[in-house]
Amino acid sequence: MAAVEAAGTAPDYEAAELYTRAFRLGALGRCWRQQLGPPDLSLAAEAAAETDAAVAAELGCAAETAAELRAVCRWPRGRRRARGGGGPRSPAESRGSCRGSCRACAAVCGPGPAGACPPGAAQPEEGLKPPAFSRRGVAAPVLAGGCRPRPPLVQGRPPRAGGSSIDMLMSSDKEKDPDVIPEDSSLLTLRIRKKALERREETIIVDRACRQETLAYEMESHAIGKRPDNPTDLVEEGELLLTLNIFYPVIFQKHKDHKPYQTVLVLGSQKLTELRDSISCVSDFQIGGEFSSQPDQAPEHISKDLYKSAFFYFEGIFYNDKRYPECRDLSRTIIEWSESHDRGYGNLQSVKMEDYTFNDLSLKIGFPYLFCHQGDCEHIVIITDIRLIHHDDCLDRNLYPLLIKKHWLCTRKCFVCKMYTARWVTNKDSLAPEDPCFFCDVCFRMLHYDVEGNKLGEFLAYPYVDPGIFN
Amino acid sequence: MRAGLGAAAGELGAGMSSVPGLQADCEELLGAFQEADTVRFERFAELWRERRFHTIFYGRIRALERNKLTKKTLELAQQYFLPPYAFQIRVGALYLLYGLYSTQLCQPKQKIRIALKDWPEIQRFQQDLIDSQHYDAAYIFRTLRLARAFHFTAMPKLLNYRTKKKIQENEFKEEFKDPSNRVNSLITNDVLEELMNIHDHYQKMKCVISADKSQPDKALSLIKDEFVVNLKDLTLEHQEWQQNRMKLFLNAKETDEMSNKKEEGTLLESEGSERANALARIKYRSYSAVVEASKSRRHRQVKLESSESGSNYGKSPNRNKKTSRRPQPARRRDSLEIKGISPLHS
Repeated sequence: MAAVEAAGTAPDYEAAELYTRAFRLGALGRCWRQQLGPPDLSLAAEAAAETDAAVAAELGCAAETAAELRAVCRWPRGRRRARGGGGPRSPAESRGSCRGSCRACAAVCGPGPAGACPPGAAQPEEGLKPPAFSRRGVAAPVLAGGCRPRPPLVQGRPPRAGGSSIDMLMSSDKEKDPDVIPEDSSLLTLRIRKKALERREETIIVDRACRQETLAYEMESHAIGKRPDNPTDLVEEGELLLTLNIFYPVIFQKHKDHKPYQTVLVLGSQKLTELRDSISCVSDFQIGGEFSSQPDQAPEHISKDLYKSAFFYFEGIFYNDKRYPECRDLSRTIIEWSESHDRGYGNLQSVKMEDYTFNDLSLKIGFPYLFCHQGDCEHIVIITDIRLIHHDDCLDRNLYPLLIKKHWLCTRKCFVCKMYTARWVTNKDSLAPEDPCFFCDVCFRMLHYDVEGNKLGEFLAYPYVDPGIFN
Repeated sequence: MRAGLGAAAGELGAGMSSVPGLQADCEELLGAFQEADTVRFERFAELWRERRFHTIFYGRIRALERNKLTKKTLELAQQYFLPPYAFQIRVGALYLLYGLYSTQLCQPKQKIRIALKDWPEIQRFQQDLIDSQHYDAAYIFRTLRLARAFHFTAMPKLLNYRTKKKIQENEFKEEFKDPSNRVNSLITNDVLEELMNIHDHYQKMKCVISADKSQPDKALSLIKDEFVVNLKDLTLEHQEWQQNRMKLFLNAKETDEMSNKKEEGTLLESEGSERANALARIKYRSYSAVVEASKSRRHRQVKLESSESGSNYGKSPNRNKKTSRRPQPARRRDSLEIKGISPLHS
């Protein structure tokens, strides 16, 4: 029954590979939680310990078989490890686990009419043979539950497990170093990669990660696996995790094909306002006005504090930020415009952003929506992915919305020192060689004011907020 | 310098939609597994080790790129885990996912994405594994779940609303597909069972309204009594035929590939020598036959040859080759003639 339900509520494509039909996010989370058991959802640091009895119960096989399965199927670690003195079993004994050849065979042939087993293909199985234990030295330490504690995150080469637990699958000694592609590999992927890497080695000048790459990696991984100090801040099991791409409202020619965006992770139970507060945009930091006579008062006029209205637009509904008395309904003009001539946009609604969490929303994955603030600063918002939280994710609720990717924007430098990002722009400046001319705070004050802070010369000074300040 | 870097990154597949060569490697491994005609994990592990498949993640790659490569690798392998691929390939894909997940070099490990709409199918698959007592496969799946190797997602991939980028059509490998068809989908187990029930019911009803309660009236015998049984047999035969055809198809493909490769020369050579041997034998035999039975008639000679040679001398290599070159028509004609189930094939 549950499976049928899942098929019914599961989101599906509206346009293939592009975006889905609209669906309720909360229902998706509920549905997954119904389908899965506690071990799947668990956010505990260690995986649940598994016992042969549990395996036997779940698979409906004998405990004997379960123990054997553990031996046969364990390959990344401990394949070599001996089970409490129990040597290899006799093939006859182990074959018991795979009796019922005909049924097995029917399964190989796929579902078909009863007894669809062709007489010729009677028994291709070899049965579950015990593994050939190579009992070199002492058995590797048994790791209960099969989960070793996660080593610290380091960039560069990942930590490898010690040689003892690396089993026969990664056997031959000449391939110890994962940086080295073996010479005689039969794998096409490796031959291609080897060639590409060799070419890279020839053309490259400085062999290290560039700053952008380092930044991108750090952004992506800095919060991975973080757990809160206070257990009440732990993300709940089965919580939805949304990946949003928020695009910058720039339409430069060089971004014609690839619009810059930032990627944010949000929890399903978070309010829209929490996302709204986390979106950083230069237009929030603009300072209006001319401040040449009192440059110290400029920071009091940041537009974020002056104009607090904003809205998200999802699926025909405007979610307006109305937390503060001075907030205006930015969507009103749009709704009125739409209704005035019956323009075919249907019945647009307007609700309060602070009343809704993402779980309450109904939307399409992959479909472009809108975030608008400062009256007309418009960001496209695309939900690229929704999934359940995983124990390797950042589990500190306070760190969400979590920025995991942002675009690196060029900054405009001070005309004097050519080092620091510009903070001021002047017009009609008798001291400047250009109009407009950009200065960092220090150079601006040194050039335009005397020690007492008196204005020197004639100029108009405006605070300048560089798009690259979030780099 | 930056240009060079970018190009190199592209070659490694980080910028592209897939890892170059990986699909070929995975399909080769799965193909070998299919050929082994088993679903045992041990056999798979053997094939994996032969190829040293864990080295697939090797190479001097930095963490960011490695994450991307690994994601794409898992994504590719995951495709084979779902229909329309055949049961055996799906088991192979499960093992492949297990291997790739366990041997990946990322820290923490990249996860395997499973979409909600695929989940019921995966659960059915797991139930199938347990029902048919493929405990090793079921165990592997369980292990992956316990290791929390999955991301339970809304959709299989991240969606970006990229209209400009061409969407690549997934080319499914024909040999790996489940040999499902109209016949199989029309006549399922349930349908057959239902038919059987209806038929029983029908017979009983006829008995009830007949004069002789134990046997229906002859006047009421309007359908063939054996109908259901016949239908079942026909379906079975058809399925068998299809499997054989698939095997032949595989063989043919193989020989094609072989001849495409450089082994062509050696293959031809061995083939040539084989033929020469065969000819020599035929010659020898016919001479000896002539010596032994010089007075005998022609048909006697023929009989001698066939009885003595068995099947593997003169004719069979040639015939094998022919059938394997164009397996389909030959096979089809065979089964049509022999089994006479032509109505089902159309």
